[in-house]
Amino acid sequence: MSRDGRAESRRSAPAARRRSGRVIFWLAPLALLPLPLFLNQYQQYVLNLILMYVPVGVGFNVVVGNLGQLAFSNVAFFGLGAYTAGILMAKLGLPWWATVLPAGITGAVAGCAASVPALRGVRSFSLAIMTLAFGELMRWTYIRSEWLTGGSMGMAVPASDLFGWRLDLESHKFYVFLVLAVAVVIATDRLLRSRVGRAFMAIKDNEVAAAAMGVPTGRYYVLGLAWSGFVVGIGGSMYALLVGHLSPDSFNLIELILEFAIIMVGGLGSLVGSVVGAVVITTTPEIFSDFPGFEELIFGLLIVLVILVLPRGLASLLARLHPVFRDRYYESA
Amino acid sequence: MLMMMPQLVVSGVSTGMLYAVVALSMTVVYKATTVVNFGHGDLVMAGAYAAFVFTAGIGLPFVPALVLALGALFLFGQLMQRALIEPILAGPHLSLAMMALAVGNVLRGAARVEWGNETLMLARPYPQTSFLLGPIVLTMDDIVISAVVLLLLLALFVVFHLSPLGKVVQAVFQTQRGAALVGINVRAFHGTMWGTGAALGAAGGALLALNTALTPDMGAWTLVRGFAAMTLGGFGSLYGAVVGGLLLGIMEKLLGFYVSTAFIDITAYVVTIVVLLVRPQGLFGRAAGRSV
Repeated sequence: MSRDGRAESRRSAPAARRRSGRVIFWLAPLALLPLPLFLNQYQQYVLNLILMYVPVGVGFNVVVGNLGQLAFSNVAFFGLGAYTAGILMAKLGLPWWATVLPAGITGAVAGCAASVPALRGVRSFSLAIMTLAFGELMRWTYIRSEWLTGGSMGMAVPASDLFGWRLDLESHKFYVFLVLAVAVVIATDRLLRSRVGRAFMAIKDNEVAAAAMGVPTGRYYVLGLAWSGFVVGIGGSMYALLVGHLSPDSFNLIELILEFAIIMVGGLGSLVGSVVGAVVITTTPEIFSDFPGFEELIFGLLIVLVILVLPRGLASLLARLHPVFRDRYYESA
Repeated sequence: MLMMMPQLVVSGVSTGMLYAVVALSMTVVYKATTVVNFGHGDLVMAGAYAAFVFTAGIGLPFVPALVLALGALFLFGQLMQRALIEPILAGPHLSLAMMALAVGNVLRGAARVEWGNETLMLARPYPQTSFLLGPIVLTMDDIVISAVVLLLLLALFVVFHLSPLGKVVQAVFQTQRGAALVGINVRAFHGTMWGTGAALGAAGGALLALNTALTPDMGAWTLVRGFAAMTLGGFGSLYGAVVGGLLLGIMEKLLGFYVSTAFIDITAYVVTIVVLLVRPQGLFGRAAGRSV
């Protein structure tokens, strides 16, 4: 065997390992299928909560991790999706499944609106502050639109079914959520591996260079934020179904920190990271939920620790175990 | 209707003084380290609780308690910078934002562990009287808040412009590299400025607690208003922060009275969004070219 051939085989070994490892992504959702048989009502609820935060985290990560923009409008998308679903169900009597797409579309429209400051050249901390204000403004809107949202008292979301299959049972919600979460992850994976994803990467690395190479950066800003809004809006509709009660306080700054923590602890720009982050960040406060204050304390310490020790998030830890977990949308090199 | 104008401006100035000191405290941190502290609202909260602990808990009179609270937060700010911010300063903005938010979370959690969600009040160390100046009612709160803030501003002015330390401050604000080259210990300076920012924020928190209740969640409210004042005045401008805070306070009162009380809550958000869209450099900021 020639020297070149050896080098070739050595180089392709991890690639092959990665390819064969991809099977885990198909097995993992399948392995979850029988879980409702073993879980009690509360554990099932937490699992559903995790599945709900998968699209929320994935959507946030597209903007922050892949497009590289410090946009904190995620909670606005989330709340708008949730309220769209809730209002359509409560006021118009639509079944839940019919509200998923409208919720996503509302989120996408909000995403387009949120891309306006980015197009105007607002970046970095300024963009963060502005989108933060946008989120708070939306919360004020929910409080003030009493006739539609029930104001600060909140609104009840009626029970629903899926063609006769009851959706008030946690275990039934689980299967619907699993399908949605997997669909969102697959779709986003496709998006990030396409020319769109490469454009995001170019913009994140160097916006001016990307523009000089002929990447229409403005168009990709809109696209990235709209996709994020769409996916997070779907997460919002899942929230409406899961919790059954919407109140403006659920979409405050604390929620933003939670969602931000999902992607930071999981791993910026990594789909695996978004999922891992959703699992860790959702369960940590639940474990300590009986001790008011402790959950915030531990949660804060956990994030501090991860940022100091694992700046690339838990996904980088997984990537060390097996190359299949390596994020291919984030690392340019 | 117009009769109310002077009264609204006066009470707006009083609220604005609070916003000004909060915005100023954030600006000090931002100018020194170019880090926007997203956890600053919780430092303000911590300052208010520290003042509460020193007065109601230990039983000190108000003024020494305030001084101790400022000292405690100065140390905390310095420690936070040294232990948590400095190691990741070279990293992406995102990690810095998350780190600050996480520290805020820890502070909020600690406050909730100790006091739960009960609302506490900081006892006023002065009688709650008010004075009539022609058509204007001036409360003791207004006077105390304005006096303390003006005193702090004066102290800061003296330090930044008239003391030898001021030269260091100006040098590092201009260029960190250059300052390091002429022998200024930039790292120590960063710590001091974070401490100063935290202490100023604590002053804002303690004053705020004089006329509103203490809750662990008061930080978010403060943070958004501080940002709005900073943005309005021009990000990174010390004078801008003060003027922005005052203007924001007055605007809240005027809009709340002449348009709708609903506007009191959203003035800050709307100001932030409009200023960044229309005039991103704010009133006093320099329109800087974006670095690539």
